[in-house]
Amino acid sequence: MMRFARWLRQNSEHYLLIAAQRDVAARYGHPCPRPREGFKGRFFLNLFAPVYRGLPWRFRAFVLHSMPGSHRQSWTPRARRPLGPAV
Amino acid sequence: MAPRAIVVGGGAGGIGAAGAYKGAQPDGEVIVFTEFEDAAYSPCGIPYVHGKEIPSFEALFLATKEAYVEQGIDIRYETRVTALDLKAGTVAIEGQGDLGYDRLVVATGFDYADPGVPGTDLEGLYYVKNIRRAMEWDKVLDTVKVAVVVEATPLGLEMVTALAHRGIETHVIDHRPWALSDLADPDIAQPVEDSWTEMGVKMHYGVTLEAFVGEGRIRAVRTSAGEIPADLAVICTKKVPNTVLGTAAGLETGPTGGFVVDSRMRTSAEGVFACGDCVEVPLGVGNLPVQGLSGSHAYAQGKVAGINAGGGNREYQPVYVPWGMVAGLWMIGGVAYGETVARALGIPHVMGVAQGISRARYFPGVKTLKVKLLAEPGTLRLIGAQMVGQEGIKERADFLAMAVKTGITAEDLAYMENVYSPPIGALNEPMALAAQNLLANA
Repeated sequence: MMRFARWLRQNSEHYLLIAAQRDVAARYGHPCPRPREGFKGRFFLNLFAPVYRGLPWRFRAFVLHSMPGSHRQSWTPRARRPLGPAV
Repeated sequence: MAPRAIVVGGGAGGIGAAGAYKGAQPDGEVIVFTEFEDAAYSPCGIPYVHGKEIPSFEALFLATKEAYVEQGIDIRYETRVTALDLKAGTVAIEGQGDLGYDRLVVATGFDYADPGVPGTDLEGLYYVKNIRRAMEWDKVLDTVKVAVVVEATPLGLEMVTALAHRGIETHVIDHRPWALSDLADPDIAQPVEDSWTEMGVKMHYGVTLEAFVGEGRIRAVRTSAGEIPADLAVICTKKVPNTVLGTAAGLETGPTGGFVVDSRMRTSAEGVFACGDCVEVPLGVGNLPVQGLSGSHAYAQGKVAGINAGGGNREYQPVYVPWGMVAGLWMIGGVAYGETVARALGIPHVMGVAQGISRARYFPGVKTLKVKLLAEPGTLRLIGAQMVGQEGIKERADFLAMAVKTGITAEDLAYMENVYSPPIGALNEPMALAAQNLLANA
């Protein structure tokens, strides 16, 4: 499971960033040169990224949080102090 | 018998852990193993010595070796740990046999990602990490005419700036499309790139590294766009966690490759803690594990690991990662998500951008300062920020990290009070202007 999670994280992070860089560069009129992609790159950019983006954020967040890793361990939120000024 | 803690690694995390363990267990024994000649210096300062902004490497040392002896911290320099036996509670030390521990802290740091091309065995490839090697490389730099920096990562930006500042013809190559593009947005990086052009830096984006070329020593760097003659290549590839020892011993790693830890920096093995660049911790906004943060993160994690290893009870918190650096003639910085990363993850957001000034408009030395804020639609709680300017970036990044952490909204920020004093602050705070624009876009 962890091996797959690592593979998915590495590749999705890499290619989702490329897809986002293209979009954001276009928005700002900034050049966005990229090397040509091989089969894996074309798969992630042409299939994975559009499908990922098409899913509702709540579902994507659920999947991301369900992956194994440190974020699934015990991380106690710091108790919120009363809001507002001290005195 | 006094409990013994062994710390593997003498960087910021390891030294932080050793000092904290000693604080929690004054009678306890703590032994730090490092394969290097020194411990506890600031490797982050190395580019600035190369750039001649810091006069000497000596300034980077935090404490003398004697100071650690006086504190009761036993640092074994140039001593390599070759294996961990978590069941037996021992570490194997090269040439010295096994040594038992009651508590173990793994702080084995990072390695640069292997460029994965021919020629990495040539002389003239510089991996910025160890201060003694940096001292030797600094002499070499006096003879270098042309240098190629491989990848415009945070270290890459610092090294490009340092080498150009030193008068070396500097090229930067990256398969990515702009400087720091895995972190910073293109409009934030643009002023940096413009200033590099002014400094004579030659940028080659969207090109693939193919080989380091030479006979025994580097002569050129071959890329998909052709060869760049070079006397030196500075490898600034991504930091990957060094988990070799721990993984072989059975410690669990996460999807980033770093050790899985909880808020007490406990690993998957009883009595074993980990900290620094070899671990992953959750990002507080979005709750994704992240790895390869700054020296301040490593040191703080080391403190938590050391206190808990010493029987104390301290928790580390999810991170929000305020960041900042000098690159070219600019400072850039931010916190958590920028526009590109938010877009990559598909995090819904509303954005506001403003250009302000750092001092009163009439005060000498006034600089422009661009702020971009991202907030969650609906609640308008901040989820990230990016900035570019020439002063006041670090303070705003730290402030905005607290704003993101505490759930401050764009509305709070739009009507914030701010210091107005001509030499240090303008009438209109740029963060407030950006928040006002965000409200208009919401």
